[in-house]
Amino acid sequence: MAITLDTPQAPNPRLPAFQWGTAGLALAALALAPLVLDSYYLHALIIAMVFLLPAHGLNLILGYTGMLSLAQGVFFGIGAYASALLATRFGTPFVFNLAAAGAIAAFIALPLGIPALRLRTTSFVMCTLGFVVIAQMVAKNWVDLTRGDMGLSGVPRPKIGVGDATWAVTQIPQYFYLILVVAVLATLAFIALIRSPAGRCMVAIRDNETLAESLGIPTWRYKLIVFMLSAAFAGLGGSLYAHYETVVSPLVFQMYYSNTILIIVLGGGVGRVPGAVIGSFLFVAVTEALRVAPELRMLMYGFVLLVLVFMFPQGLAPLVERVTEWLSRGGSKPVAPQEKSR
Amino acid sequence: MGNFLFEQTVNGVITGSTYALIAAGMTMIFGVLRAINFAHGEYYMLGTFAAWVAISKLEVSYLASIVLGVAMAALIAAAIGRLVMQRLVGAPFQAGVLATIGISLILQNAVILAFGGGYKVFEGGWIAPVEFFGIGMAQQRIVIVVSAVLVFGGLEWMVRKTRMGKSIRAVSQNIECCQVNGIDVESVVRRTFLLGTALAALSGVLTAPVNVSVYGGMGEAITLKTFAVIVMGGMGNVRGTLYAGILLGIVESLVSGLIGLQYRDSVGFIALLLMLMLRPHGLFSQKARF
Repeated sequence: MAITLDTPQAPNPRLPAFQWGTAGLALAALALAPLVLDSYYLHALIIAMVFLLPAHGLNLILGYTGMLSLAQGVFFGIGAYASALLATRFGTPFVFNLAAAGAIAAFIALPLGIPALRLRTTSFVMCTLGFVVIAQMVAKNWVDLTRGDMGLSGVPRPKIGVGDATWAVTQIPQYFYLILVVAVLATLAFIALIRSPAGRCMVAIRDNETLAESLGIPTWRYKLIVFMLSAAFAGLGGSLYAHYETVVSPLVFQMYYSNTILIIVLGGGVGRVPGAVIGSFLFVAVTEALRVAPELRMLMYGFVLLVLVFMFPQGLAPLVERVTEWLSRGGSKPVAPQEKSR
Repeated sequence: MGNFLFEQTVNGVITGSTYALIAAGMTMIFGVLRAINFAHGEYYMLGTFAAWVAISKLEVSYLASIVLGVAMAALIAAAIGRLVMQRLVGAPFQAGVLATIGISLILQNAVILAFGGGYKVFEGGWIAPVEFFGIGMAQQRIVIVVSAVLVFGGLEWMVRKTRMGKSIRAVSQNIECCQVNGIDVESVVRRTFLLGTALAALSGVLTAPVNVSVYGGMGEAITLKTFAVIVMGGMGNVRGTLYAGILLGIVESLVSGLIGLQYRDSVGFIALLLMLMLRPHGLFSQKARF
């Protein structure tokens, strides 16, 4: 299963405009969703958008440097705890907590990444799995900070603005717009990052680390920065989760979260921006909306993983890309497959 | 104090031999497949669960439940070996990681959906106390150690002398050469997988009377401890796994006795991280295999 992927070069000049157009339409549809959907379905969409953030993080580290990390759930949980602690202990405002959660997750990723990133392939996976267990143990046993299994409750609902111009977020539709804005900004930031020179360096490291190093790219520093950035994305998601659920407990460090993030990215398509978006709406919003029990959901994710490994190693995004490519040509010319043998 | 340390060490050896039994299977599977089985603990859970069902629903004896538990886990493993594991020959590492994580999710949650997520009490085993060098312990613990010694003796003989063992070693060294020489690599992978998972299931059934509680998520922690054992023992090194398992058991037992029970499970992880950073080829292997 080739995890490293080549984004097909668009031979059709109308394709980028078409893709942005499709994305804009989808966004407009989402923005209008609160007018037609009841709050349970909005809740499903909110959870999907919360998971989109750590998924972008995993997409960054897996799709752009080729490291398979199971620790996204750890940084998600760290973001949730950081936000909850700041809000309950110091009463800091929501926007500050959000930024701080991202920064704290990235900061904690630094000492974890320095040893972990020296490992490769399966050793790196085992090491990141170790972080999950250590995080569970710390959350359960450092009772002074985390209140152990009781968790932190009463995380305040977000308030944005100062003085009289304060916007208090209490209703589901308000949460929906708040999280939609954050998710869109994060997605745009992700696109800007991977299209920047730094993004090209990451792809170079993924495709041939030795060659990248010989060209003068500081590969070690890049990998560390990517690990921290992926943690920052996850921390932002955790912060949103804490302020939305208003309760944080050691359960956020369960494998459930890391596995869900993994399914989103692999199912959507690794190394493709639309992949994580499609994945989070398909695998989280749909299962949440259909009220699938967590165990049954994990059982389904297990089968999805097997199907992905043996039948769709590139996820669903390539299929969607083919369709948009075909539509942008006006449905006329058939497109030759662009698989590159590696 | 001296007696306390001796008691903790003896307990550690007993726990360690169950770790070694599980890890021996995982290390052999790694040897032939070059893939870590992230679902290994689930076969431990399956064996225990099948034995629990046999005892509490069918009301058979503990001895029969050992046979039924291992047979049930082996039956499921045979199907998974054919459908999934043999297709991982020569696949990139991500395929092995993701496919076995998928199997782990399926097995664990299928059992939880079928039997509920709560803790079950395992009633069975030889729990009458015996005196052993001034330490009182359940007979079951003696059974565990004796079984581990027998199994490792058998494995050592199998790997060195039998045709199956030789083909396992050959596949571990060079898959292409085996294919050229007419060794059916997929069949070796299947049989090694079956043997390895049966050992995990056996370890589960043997430990169940001591641990008492049985639950669907019990395999997860075991998988993670097994990583530490196989890395310490040297990936693919069966005898190293025995020493490493016992070492981990002793250290865990001393840590829980001297520092605190809640830190017990952290020992495996700290050992895993230190080993991966400092001696990735293990404590008991000469050359790096991984």
